[in-house]
Amino acid sequence: MTQSGTRFHPAFIAVELFSLLKGVGGFYVILFILKASSTATWVMIGRYLIVAITIIGIISTILKWFFHRYELRYNTIVIRNGIFVKNQHTVAIDKIHNHLSNSTFIHKWFGLTSLTLETAATGDLAPFQFPVITEREKARILAHIEPKHSEEIEETTVPLSLNKTVHFRSTKKDMLKASFTSLSFLAIFPLLSALYSNLANFFELEETAESALDYLLIHWWMLIVLFTIALGLSVVIGYIKTSIKYGNYMISDDNVRIYIEKGIGHYTSFSIQKHRVQAVIVEQSFLKRLLGLAAVKLVCVGDGSEPGQETSSLYPFMPKHEAYQLLQTILPGYHIEEYMKRFPVKVLWLKLLQPYYVTILAVIGLLLFKREWLWAAAVIFALSIANRILDYWFTSYIHHGRTVQIRKGGFTNETYVTHRERIQQITVSHSWLQRKFGVATISFANKANPLHISQLQGVSKEEAGTFFTWYHKKALN
Amino acid sequence: MYIEIEEPNQRISSDAVKVWRISHSLTFLVELLVIAILFFCTNIFGWYNWIETILSILFGLAFLSAIYNITIQPVFLQRTWRYQVDEQFVQLKHGKWTEEHTLIPMEKVEYVKTEQGPVMRRYGLYTIEVGTTTSSHKIPAIPEDIAKQLKSQIATYAKIQDTITEEGEKGA
Repeated sequence: MTQSGTRFHPAFIAVELFSLLKGVGGFYVILFILKASSTATWVMIGRYLIVAITIIGIISTILKWFFHRYELRYNTIVIRNGIFVKNQHTVAIDKIHNHLSNSTFIHKWFGLTSLTLETAATGDLAPFQFPVITEREKARILAHIEPKHSEEIEETTVPLSLNKTVHFRSTKKDMLKASFTSLSFLAIFPLLSALYSNLANFFELEETAESALDYLLIHWWMLIVLFTIALGLSVVIGYIKTSIKYGNYMISDDNVRIYIEKGIGHYTSFSIQKHRVQAVIVEQSFLKRLLGLAAVKLVCVGDGSEPGQETSSLYPFMPKHEAYQLLQTILPGYHIEEYMKRFPVKVLWLKLLQPYYVTILAVIGLLLFKREWLWAAAVIFALSIANRILDYWFTSYIHHGRTVQIRKGGFTNETYVTHRERIQQITVSHSWLQRKFGVATISFANKANPLHISQLQGVSKEEAGTFFTWYHKKALN
Repeated sequence: MYIEIEEPNQRISSDAVKVWRISHSLTFLVELLVIAILFFCTNIFGWYNWIETILSILFGLAFLSAIYNITIQPVFLQRTWRYQVDEQFVQLKHGKWTEEHTLIPMEKVEYVKTEQGPVMRRYGLYTIEVGTTTSSHKIPAIPEDIAKQLKSQIATYAKIQDTITEEGEKGA
């Protein structure tokens, strides 16, 4: 078989080895430094094992690099890999929904970056990854992908202008606010205590620390000074941490795509075609609500590759009205109605009447195993009631034109907006109890990774009927 | 009618009741067997007492649900099941205590298939499964000739809609 295609940049090996080092480094410290004088069996076996793992890791990384090739063809991309079992993986370019690029510190040293192409498919192969490529190669791949999409859109929309408009750029003030809301400055305390207990184990710090504590208690002002220094330090650390993740945040768009770029040390860029956005979520945690901030997220297929990265989120710490304005300019189709009417009070009674499964299970479990802890069931009961009341308080629903908007949640509330064409299917159901209250449950599904199902209980039966008929309209437009 | 909507009107075969009774009885027998074996093991190997308590509870639950599932539930389900397939939608409705209406646009339908188990073969019935990118839905107990016709009908409609969808997506 003739091998065609391109290999990754050789720095792939360096990047992979670095992550290997991160994985095994801790074991080396323990086995060869901390337990240097030990001759216990597990230490000896461990040393051989870790050396063997390292060697295998190095060899397989090199082989992986050697056998991994990719090729750009007219309208597909082909990836071949596998050391013993050969795989060939082909994707059609017009199936690519969005792309994501990530550069860690190590990428930056080599002047490199990584690229992930997301498709609607699920499974291991779904995201197409180029872990280490040069910036020029990335530009070449993107150029190969993007003109296709633009042509496809051009037929139906206004003439294409590839001029990006920048809509948002984060400032130092934004960073400060963000670092406060994410509460990352509090991370110093567990960190300090973890550090302390670790050190205490090794150096028998306890006794010295006790006398030091005595000293501090007598000279209490010293304690305050130390505490202030620690707090200041943690604010600085929090600020730096937030800056690394969210610094230089920039949101821009052109006619076809939305571009999100962020990060100082760890640079990430994300781009999605506007017509692939399935829904928009506005999320407000308790703290963000106090500060009037909101996070706007775009629901799209294939953003689940790196959970917790929030790449598909527009800047998560934006003042609410600014976030709405931004959304208006970028995605004029998604209009968020701020004022939403609460459901009638009878819905609250219905919610409170429904069986308390968790409480019942807790009571049974405690009766069987720990009778003296039975009071805990009461706490659980109280919590579930509080949860239901909050849930009632924040739940609402409206639909106008081709837009549906629902809001729910207690401490963290979430507003979800989507369009009729984006809804994959709907279900309206009503139980016996719900019929007694004249309400129903509506639920609808949106394409995402995984499927996003929105369920709303307590919609009045008239409204549920209207919702069903609205979706059942014969005409497509 | 509780909610003012256009309800589907096609019914499923009345043999569904028999099919469900037989298959639920078989399920119950398997459950009994498993519980009996576990009881036996508890006595032989002297497991904890609370395992026996839980097994008794499980047995009680299985027994009660079997009575409901074999006597009443099949009748209710067969009586309430309705479906309708037209050029635009697959519409499903079922349930007595909790009534559920589902609406799937043809353009989102990805595949349709028929399925038949041994019990259903005796009565010449098929289950039709309609799958979208995100989920799948089953219409139970359809007589053979209708099932085949329905399958090809859904396949045709879904395909026709395909080209219209793309235009719709772009315009959105």
